[in-house]
Amino acid sequence: MNKQRVSTGQAFRATLQRDLLIAYKRKNDMVNPFMFFLIVASLFPIGISPDSERLAEIAAGVLWISALLASLLAMDNLYRADYEDGSLEQLLLSPHPLYFMVLAKNIAHWLVSGLPVVLISPLIAYMLNLPSESYMTLFVTLLLGTPVFSLLGSIGVALTVGLGSRGLILAVITLPMSVPVLIAGTLAIEQTSNGASLGGYLAILGAMLVASISLAPLASGAALRISVN
Amino acid sequence: MILFLVIGATWALLYVPQDYQQGLTNRILYVHVPVASLSLSFFPLMAVAGTITLVWKMKLADMVVKVAAPLGAWFTALALASGSIWGVDTWGTWWIWDGRLTSLLLQFFLLLGIISLRSALEDSDAAARACALLSIVGCINVVVIKYSVDWWNTLHQPGTTFGMTSDQPNGPEFWIPLLIMGIAVALFFAVSLILATRNEILERERRSQWVQELVQE
Repeated sequence: MNKQRVSTGQAFRATLQRDLLIAYKRKNDMVNPFMFFLIVASLFPIGISPDSERLAEIAAGVLWISALLASLLAMDNLYRADYEDGSLEQLLLSPHPLYFMVLAKNIAHWLVSGLPVVLISPLIAYMLNLPSESYMTLFVTLLLGTPVFSLLGSIGVALTVGLGSRGLILAVITLPMSVPVLIAGTLAIEQTSNGASLGGYLAILGAMLVASISLAPLASGAALRISVN
Repeated sequence: MILFLVIGATWALLYVPQDYQQGLTNRILYVHVPVASLSLSFFPLMAVAGTITLVWKMKLADMVVKVAAPLGAWFTALALASGSIWGVDTWGTWWIWDGRLTSLLLQFFLLLGIISLRSALEDSDAAARACALLSIVGCINVVVIKYSVDWWNTLHQPGTTFGMTSDQPNGPEFWIPLLIMGIAVALFFAVSLILATRNEILERERRSQWVQELVQE
């Protein structure tokens, strides 16, 4: 790079591209959350009951909880490799607003770990015998909800990235924070299967998404500055 | 504090007229209501102290965040326990997934998360800032959780207003002991917070001159 200054937009795009490229090269990290989602979701029928009527009742909750756990499992990869090889420090030292850098990393992470889960969810919903009129609701609410999981989880990961045994602490910090999304998502599916309109829940989930896009990267950035001294 | 606690507890437990429906059980109200309402104040307290830690880097504010977290967990646990003892008689169940109960339970989990984060971080300066940040985030989140679970499922009664005259449903013979108990519990909280903070100061400054002198006396 010559002396030309890099604009924030270019830096944003470069970070996004870099993270996507790394994820593409390391396919394990990409496939694992996805596999985890499939396995957890298929444990419920085995553990509770294979009876199709009972499955239909719990299907929405099972899918949401599996998606939440899958996103939690994938969170650990978000900053750890960068923390270990020092590129996280370079990111913090860069002259661009940390907000956009963190947002780019979060978007890349969600595209890799969250989006596949959302895309496969109708299939699992079919296997769990979810009423067919709820498929659209499930898909849209997961599409709005999983980025919020990623953004909130990012705060927890940023706080714990320097720790040796962070898995459990990450869960203790992150899971209670994700509850509002879980409630809104499952309520939306439950209500629409009773014939209510979807608009209100979509608005609430959308509001959560907008709020976490605008606030969570700030908190993650501050947490990264604390963790990386 | 002790005076208020003794007066409040005796009055509430012995002299308040029994509720015509709930009988003696309603007397647990005089423990449950003050403890529960106070336990809601922990996150705002920790968020304010956390902001002070982050902005002005005051050590004392961080100590307050540190000692308030276990205290808050205890108060939250007490509120949940007294509520469920009350609930077993009036609702017929120890636990129910109701809005208020669930949001208080999640607040309990968040407080435990803050405590475990602090114990996991070895560098005390980083731990102070990390916990301060988590308190602020948690404070926003407790509000969100509170509202989200409220339209999820609700059994717990809303707050009751207390009237000044005795011919109203909740006359002075009910609310004056409640007020005394409220003051007593608030004072108890203040005293334990101050005592715990004093311990914390002594422990952190154990190498300084004045603490050494204090110990030697």
